[in-house]
Amino acid sequence: MSAALDPIRVRVRVTSPRLAVTLGIVLVLFGAASIGIAYVVVSGMLDGHWYDFRDLGLGMAHLREWLNEVNAGQPAALSAFLGDQWISYITGALLGATGILTFFGLLLLILVWVERRLIGRIQVRKGPNRVGPFGLLQPVADALKLIQKEVLIPIGADRFMFYLPPVLVFIPGLLVWAVVPWAPNMNYLDTNVGVIYLIAISSTATLAIFMAGWASNNHYALLGAMRTVAMMISYEIPLSLALLMVVLMTGSMQLSTIVQWQVDHHVWLGMLMPLALFTFFFSSTAELNRTPNDIAEAESEIVAGFHTEYSGMKFGLFYAVELGNAVAVGAFVAAFFLGGWSLFGLETWIPPYLIFAAKAFGGYFVLVWLRGTLPRFRLDQLMSFAWKYLIPISLLQVLLVAIEVTAMRYMHFPDFVELSLVGAANLAFTIFIVRAWATFLGYRPEREQVLKPTMAKQMGGLRAAEEMRTR
Amino acid sequence: MIPEQFGRVGVLLAFALLFPALPLAASYAFYKLRIRPENHDPIKDATYECGVESEGTSWGQFNARYYLFALGFVIFDVEVVFLYPWAVVHAELAWQAILKASLFIGILAFGLAYAWRRGALEWR
Repeated sequence: MSAALDPIRVRVRVTSPRLAVTLGIVLVLFGAASIGIAYVVVSGMLDGHWYDFRDLGLGMAHLREWLNEVNAGQPAALSAFLGDQWISYITGALLGATGILTFFGLLLLILVWVERRLIGRIQVRKGPNRVGPFGLLQPVADALKLIQKEVLIPIGADRFMFYLPPVLVFIPGLLVWAVVPWAPNMNYLDTNVGVIYLIAISSTATLAIFMAGWASNNHYALLGAMRTVAMMISYEIPLSLALLMVVLMTGSMQLSTIVQWQVDHHVWLGMLMPLALFTFFFSSTAELNRTPNDIAEAESEIVAGFHTEYSGMKFGLFYAVELGNAVAVGAFVAAFFLGGWSLFGLETWIPPYLIFAAKAFGGYFVLVWLRGTLPRFRLDQLMSFAWKYLIPISLLQVLLVAIEVTAMRYMHFPDFVELSLVGAANLAFTIFIVRAWATFLGYRPEREQVLKPTMAKQMGGLRAAEEMRTR
Repeated sequence: MIPEQFGRVGVLLAFALLFPALPLAASYAFYKLRIRPENHDPIKDATYECGVESEGTSWGQFNARYYLFALGFVIFDVEVVFLYPWAVVHAELAWQAILKASLFIGILAFGLAYAWRRGALEWR
């Protein structure tokens, strides 16, 4: 833009190639140095031991063995509660929790940038690119700004209850990470009721959201909270039914066993049960209050939903935990339906937790993609979709999976043949029931009006369009 | 033993409460250090309602439609919780188990169909 046409004199900043090249060189040098140091440590050039970092759970097991030897001479003070090896138990719990918290905190910091850049890219704009190189320091700037904001609490609000929800939403946000199976031996909580634990913990987010809406004493906030609760409890049923199919097929509620089942049978459950994968993913977007199901904060209708009155750091906490939950959904999609930490035998060479993280971030990317692409659904459409569509067809699919599991017990074909048959049957059923139920609900594709955008080509090409514009 | 199984969740729970409390505490410290402003006035502290004064409190009655969905949720969520133990041991049971489970699901599906027919699932 020439200076004559630019009366406000906008300062146009172009990222200099020199900066990018310098950054690249520094990054490459840093990477090479860390790989070299890692090689020296891992290969045993220092002390003659070969360290296995492909599974951090192994290192933890060594530590706990050593601590158990220390423990043997100690008085059994806490053994009534935590078992005989309570020192290693507490150490393991503290180290694991610190690991999860560090991961979660770094995740929240980087995701603020990642999400806005990705959405910007999808919507053909740049996203944050001013603060620091490539806008990487934007999350820090945001956090600083939010901390410095004045704390506003409306006069009519319940002050104590107003403070609680931003803290309480972190309980489900952080506790669901406990059951994530990172690698064969890398589980923080490898309980045999993992699926139930996941459903129970994640449903407490509803409470915090309703508390926020109720305590604000604002019409918009209460409306938004009511709608959110209605939507979240409705979508919890299809979500639990999708996980029920997983449990039926694998015969276990333990997440490590579910992943191990997929490794042993050389199959991803998402291929066997596409309907369960879709139901789980769509219901999760409702549980997350993200587009296309973000009626919780439908800004064109109810301002900002349940957090209308929240500002400053309290709003920032709501915003941050939503991003963390999105990655958690990606992680659980990866664990239940995409084979967890396995990748066709590559997990022997690449650390399994890196494979798992890659799959989790893949799931998160699809969520961002959906957010950048789809418009918002209406509340009544969403409720109808859950109660009249997803729940009936999920119930039918549950019965079909039960019949298949029993049939597999009586058939004695090779694994490969049986699972191919099951996958084909489920795919056929999915395609059939999706169309048949839509017809049953009154959807007639031939009656739909097809609207096409007018292209420049139809007006006689770009030159004609240019002439029309300049005339 | 419950504490042995879920004690580590307690550690994580404590971390989950501390983590969001830190920025809130930092915000309070900023106020004490006079970095952050705190100038209240009645207009600023009023309930937000797009520029008009808020009419009454919002702690009152709301649409009965929500209660219907809440009831439906309770019934179906309990159903799913009952189905999980069946799902775990299902592979070891014979065909009868499917019959019994489908009877159980069928009764609830009948309830859903009845509620649908009576218009309880319409959002008006």
